[in-house]
Amino acid sequence: MLSAAISTASHAAGPSILGKDAPDFVLRGLDGRNLRLSEFRGQVVLVNFWTRSDGDSRLQMPALDRINITYQRAGLVVLGVSVDDDLRRSKEFATAMGVSYPILFDTGSQIGKDYFLQKMPMTILVDRAGVVRYSAVGFRRGDERVYLDKIRELLRE
Amino acid sequence: MNLKDRMMRVLVCGALLSPAWTVMGATAPAVAPAKSVPAAAQPAAANASSADTPPPAEAPAPPVPAADAPPAELKTLDQEVQGLKKDVVDLNKDLFVLQEELLFPANTQVALYISMDVGTFFALDSVTVKIDNKEVKNYLYTAREADALLKGGVQQIYLGNLKVGKHELVAFFTGKGSAERDYKRGASINFDKGVGAKYLELKITDRVPKHQPEFLIKDWE
Repeated sequence: MLSAAISTASHAAGPSILGKDAPDFVLRGLDGRNLRLSEFRGQVVLVNFWTRSDGDSRLQMPALDRINITYQRAGLVVLGVSVDDDLRRSKEFATAMGVSYPILFDTGSQIGKDYFLQKMPMTILVDRAGVVRYSAVGFRRGDERVYLDKIRELLRE
Repeated sequence: MNLKDRMMRVLVCGALLSPAWTVMGATAPAVAPAKSVPAAAQPAAANASSADTPPPAEAPAPPVPAADAPPAELKTLDQEVQGLKKDVVDLNKDLFVLQEELLFPANTQVALYISMDVGTFFALDSVTVKIDNKEVKNYLYTAREADALLKGGVQQIYLGNLKVGKHELVAFFTGKGSAERDYKRGASINFDKGVGAKYLELKITDRVPKHQPEFLIKDWE
């Protein structure tokens, strides 16, 4: 039932990035630092694409924060990527949420095309070799348990 | 060996090593080997054996499955596989060079490099490049990439095509100056694109007397 839930969530994303190399990107963070995805090669990376107007995104961020705090020392990297057009408001929202993981801002459209972003939020897990191993769209309470199972599996590899 | 010959060799070796060919001597179904032909095929094989064909007992040695092949043959096969792997790697390299030559032929190629020896007066954040007033590159630098430049690295920041003639390149450098203040400077160069590849370098250097970074664009003649 769990794997069915994962596959359903993955298929809801449409054309899929699953199983493919995660397209590289470099974005400016809320703290002013530029971060490039490929520089985390060798670590497990959770990338969460979100917009401030989406209710699921607002619900998901605290859950991801807890995951980051717990698994950061185990080698997990969590990155939040805002795909809002309104950069100023997106920054205000991110500051207000006060999460512990880096928030990056994408105002172009290339990342959306590369990752087939259609519905927010979208969460992917990238393994140590840079391959997307999990992809899910939307968020409901309890979904973080699914993330944790997959994260533990990838950290053990 | 040229590219075409190498590709043909790769394809032929790949076909030879496919599962259908793992039983050695599989080209002689008409002869009824004792071990390798299934029972249903034996009557057909027997019928196919005419008076001209020697009886099975005197037939040439039956084909030996690869698993039972003597070690010398396995060694030859292994050498073939290693040779094939090397060919694939070499072919991949040739294809990459060919792709670059096709996409950016030398007569229209323009390449832009960036180097930095500054450390005191400027921390690089991003570079934007415009050629003939059209933005061709906008590159954000991570801390690691900026560090690599400071250590002496030279980055190929842009590779593109330009027609022969006069062109203008403008580069904008954004970063942090002394006292963590935002810093943005530009540099430009007018150049002639002739026949042959054109290489330009963006240099960021310390200008100690003025306590300022200096931004230059050099032509690699």
